Amino acid sequence: MELGLVLDGSRPPSELLELAQAAERHRLAMVVVDPDDLDAWTLAVWIAGSTDTIPVVVPAEPDVEPVPTDPATPYPQVVAHAARSADTLAPGRLTRTEPFWVRAEAGAPAPALRDLAGADGTVVVEVADPEEVARLARELGLDERPATHRSPAVRARRRPGIDYDGVPASLAERAVEPGDPGYQAVSSTYLRGGAPGLVLRPRTPEEVADALAFASRHRHLPLGVRSAGHGISGRSTNRGGLVVDVGAMDEVTVIDRASRLVRIGPGATWKKVARTIGPRGWAITSGDYGGVGVGGLATAGGIGLLSREQGLTIDRVRAVELVLADGQQVRASATENPDLFWAVRGAGASFGVATAFEIEAGPVSRAVGFAQLVLVVDDIADALVTFGEVASAAPRDTTVFLVTGRPQGGRSVVQLFGVVDSDDGEVVVERLNPFVRLGLLAQQDVRLVPYADAIGWAPDVGPEGHHGFGEPVSRSAFVDAVTPALARDAADLLRSGAVHFFQLRTMGGAIADVDPQATAFAHRHAAFNVAAMGSSHDALRPGWERVRQHADGLYLSFETDTDPARLADAFPPDTLARLRELKRRYDPEQLLRDNFAIDPATPVAAQETLS
Amino acid sequence: MTLPDYVLGTFVTPSARDARQVLDLVQAADRGGLDLVTFQDHPYQPAFLDTSTLLAFAAARTERVHLAANVANLPLRPPAVLARAAASLDILSGGRFELGIGAGGFPDAIAAMGGRRLTPGQGVEALREGIGIIRQVWDTETRGGIRVEGTYYRAAGMKRGPRPVHDIGIWVGAYKPRMLALTGELGDGWLPSWSYLPDGWASYAEMNARIDDAAAAAGRRPEQVRRMLNVMGGSFGPSSDELLSGPPRVWVEQLLEARHEHRVDGVLLATDDLATTERFAAEVAPAVREQLAA
Repeated sequence: MELGLVLDGSRPPSELLELAQAAERHRLAMVVVDPDDLDAWTLAVWIAGSTDTIPVVVPAEPDVEPVPTDPATPYPQVVAHAARSADTLAPGRLTRTEPFWVRAEAGAPAPALRDLAGADGTVVVEVADPEEVARLARELGLDERPATHRSPAVRARRRPGIDYDGVPASLAERAVEPGDPGYQAVSSTYLRGGAPGLVLRPRTPEEVADALAFASRHRHLPLGVRSAGHGISGRSTNRGGLVVDVGAMDEVTVIDRASRLVRIGPGATWKKVARTIGPRGWAITSGDYGGVGVGGLATAGGIGLLSREQGLTIDRVRAVELVLADGQQVRASATENPDLFWAVRGAGASFGVATAFEIEAGPVSRAVGFAQLVLVVDDIADALVTFGEVASAAPRDTTVFLVTGRPQGGRSVVQLFGVVDSDDGEVVVERLNPFVRLGLLAQQDVRLVPYADAIGWAPDVGPEGHHGFGEPVSRSAFVDAVTPALARDAADLLRSGAVHFFQLRTMGGAIADVDPQATAFAHRHAAFNVAAMGSSHDALRPGWERVRQHADGLYLSFETDTDPARLADAFPPDTLARLRELKRRYDPEQLLRDNFAIDPATPVAAQETLS
Repeated sequence: MTLPDYVLGTFVTPSARDARQVLDLVQAADRGGLDLVTFQDHPYQPAFLDTSTLLAFAAARTERVHLAANVANLPLRPPAVLARAAASLDILSGGRFELGIGAGGFPDAIAAMGGRRLTPGQGVEALREGIGIIRQVWDTETRGGIRVEGTYYRAAGMKRGPRPVHDIGIWVGAYKPRMLALTGELGDGWLPSWSYLPDGWASYAEMNARIDDAAAAAGRRPEQVRRMLNVMGGSFGPSSDELLSGPPRVWVEQLLEARHEHRVDGVLLATDDLATTERFAAEVAPAVREQLAA
C-alpha cells in the first residue's frame, strides 16, 4: 500500500511545510494539496519548491468552459502551460490529476488506512502533526521498505527500453532514475543538457563491471561514461539512455615518493589532484580548468598549462586500470597489455572504463607565475600571428593560452592566461613581457601562487550538479604555426559572429618530444590546438572550413561534429588502423562508442587503398 | 516584510529551457541582498515558464527577496485568480509579493490562448475593473460576497480572500495617457521599461507628470505611486552612452542621478547574466543605498 498526506491550507505555512517535510522524510507516496482558502496551485508549487523529493498532487477540477467575464476561472490553456512549467521546475513531482486515491477520515488509525488502501492502492489522510506522520509510517512499515522502493509516481517516470528492476544489486541503491529526487543533479553536464533514463554510480571496479554488464543488455540505448561531466565530444549525458558515472571513484593517493607516482581515481577533479600533491612541490599537467575530471582527460590527451614543460597528461601516465567492455578488469602499462596501454592514451573512451590511473607527477615551483592579461587589439589577425610567434618562442617553463570572441566595434578583446613555472617574479615578468606586444593592455593580473590556484578557481559543483543546457557546438584542429593566412581566415570567422569562444592552446615543448607512434594521440608536431565554439554547426561550418584548410588533425575532446569523417581527422591512418585492430580485440561489439566511435571494421575505401 | 522606499532588483527572462539558470539568478539576487526579482508574463509564449508558477517556486527557494510579475497579463489571468494567487503567495512567502499588472499586448496571441480580444481603450477599462476586483478579493473585512456588474467582469456573491499578510502593491505597466491616468488614480506603482521610452528621461518626466495629475485629481499624493524603471542590459565593461554600462562607480552615479533628477524610486536590471547580477548586488546596490541614506 501507499500512504499520502492531505495538506489543508488553513494552517500557517510553517506547519504545512513541516507536514510535507515529514511526509518526505518518511517516504510517503505524496502530499495532496487541498486548501480551504489558499490558491491550491500556488500552495502546491510552493510545497514542491520547498521540498526535494515528495510528489505533490492537486486534485483536478473539471474543466469549465472559460467565460471571459468570469473573474474567478482560469483559462484551461494557461493551466496546462502552468503544469508543463511545474514539470520543468520540479520534474515529475507536481501533478494535477483526478483522484486515484481513497481519502480516509482525518485521524484514521493505521489498520483502517491499510484496509482502505488494500494491497496496491493509495490512501490519503489528514493528520494533526509531524509526529502522527512518523507514527503512521512506523505502524504501516513504510520506514522499513528497501531504499530501492519507488512509489507509483516515481515508476511512472521511467523511460522505455530499460530493465529498471534488473539493475544489479550492487548498483541499485545508488542508481538514479528520472523520478528520483537526485535526478536533476545528475542529468546535465557542464556544457550539455540531458535527460538520461538511468544513471549508474559505481564505487569499485567490480561495480563498474556490473554496470557494463547491465549496459551490454541495453545496446539499443546511448551509453555515456562520466567522470566529472566536462566532456564536449564525450557524451557523458544523453536522452533516455544510460550513464555510468564514476565520480565516486575520486581518491588521490601518493604511492611512491621517490618516483612521484600518484594513484588517482577517474572521478577526481584536476583541482583535487593539484591540491593534494601541490604541498609536496609536485604537479601533474591537465588542462586549463580544475573542475575537469581525471578520467576523460587522462584518456584523451590533456593539453594544459604545464604541457610545454611536462607534455600531455597522457605522457605522464604510467599505468591504467580499467574494466573492458566484457567486464574483465585489466591493468595496462608499458609492460602489461602494452597495446591497450598505447590505445588508452589518446582513445581510451573506446576501450574501457578506467578505474584508476598511476601518474608520475613532475616537480613544480612552490609558487608559479599565474597570469591573466586582457588586451584590446585593432587587428585580430595581426595579434594572432604575434601570439603564435611569442608563445612558441617562449621557454618550456611558459605555457600561455589565448581566448577571444567576436570583435566589437572593430576591436577585439583578447584574453591571455598562462603559467610560468618560476617563483622568481623577475623571471615571470620577463617571460610575459613579449606577450604584451599583442595590443593595448587593458587589465593585468599576475600573481605568484601555488599551481593548484592557477587551475583551482573552478567553483565546486554543489549538490544540485551541473547546470548545462542545450548541446555544445565545438570544432577543433591542430596547426603547426599561426600563419598570416590562417590568422586572416580565423579573423573572418570571428567577425562572422558564429564563434563566441575561440581558443589557441599552445603546444610544442615536451609534447613534441614524444614519438607520434608512442600513443594513440599522434599530433605531436602541432604548435597549437585551435578550438572554436559557437551556437550552431551550420553557422560555424563555412568559416571553420576555411580555417581548417591551414590545419590538420583534431583534438577529439573539443570536437562535437559527429560526421564519421572526423575520425580520420582525430587519428592518422596508421594510428586508426591499429585502433581498429585493437577494437576488434577489446570491444568488437562496440559497447563503448559515445566519444569518437571506432568502427572495428576497416572501411572498404581504406582496404582498397591498402591493397 | 515591507519593501523599502527605494528598490533595486532584477528582471529575469523566465526561460523554460534555462530554468535552472533562472533559479540561479533569482537566488543570486536573494543572496546578494537585492530587494526584488521580477519576471515578464507572456502565457502564450511556450519558451517561457508560466510566470505564476515560477513566482511560487522562486518564493520557496528564496528567503528575503520580494517577487513580482513584470507585468502580469490581465487578459489571460482573470482578476480573482490573480488576486488569490498573489495573496496566497504573499502568505506563504511571509509578505514578499508585489503585483505588477498590465492590460496585455499581443491580441492575436491572447486570443489564441482563449482570451478575449480587446481594443487598447477596452483593455484600460478592463484593467480598471480588474484592479477593483483584486482589491475586493483581498478585502476580507467587508462582509458578504463580491458583486460585480462591470462591462468586462461580472460576479454575483464571489468569495473573498485570502487576505495578504502585507499591503501588496499593485504596479501598472503603462506608457499611454489613459493607462498613465489609471496608474495615478488606482496604482501603487508604475513599471515602465527604459527601452520603450521614446525620448528617454524626457518621456519619463512627461509620463510621470500625467501620473501626478491623475493622482491629484483622485485626491492622492504623488508619492503614493512608486516610480520604477526596468533597464535592459547593463554591463560592467567599458563605459558607453547606454544606461548602466561602465564600472560600478558609473552605475552608482547614474542611479543616484536617476533618483535625484528623475524621481526614479527603483530600478530593475534586466539581465540573465549571473556575474552581472552578483556585481550589481555586491558593488552597486550597497553604495547607492549608502549614499541615499547619507
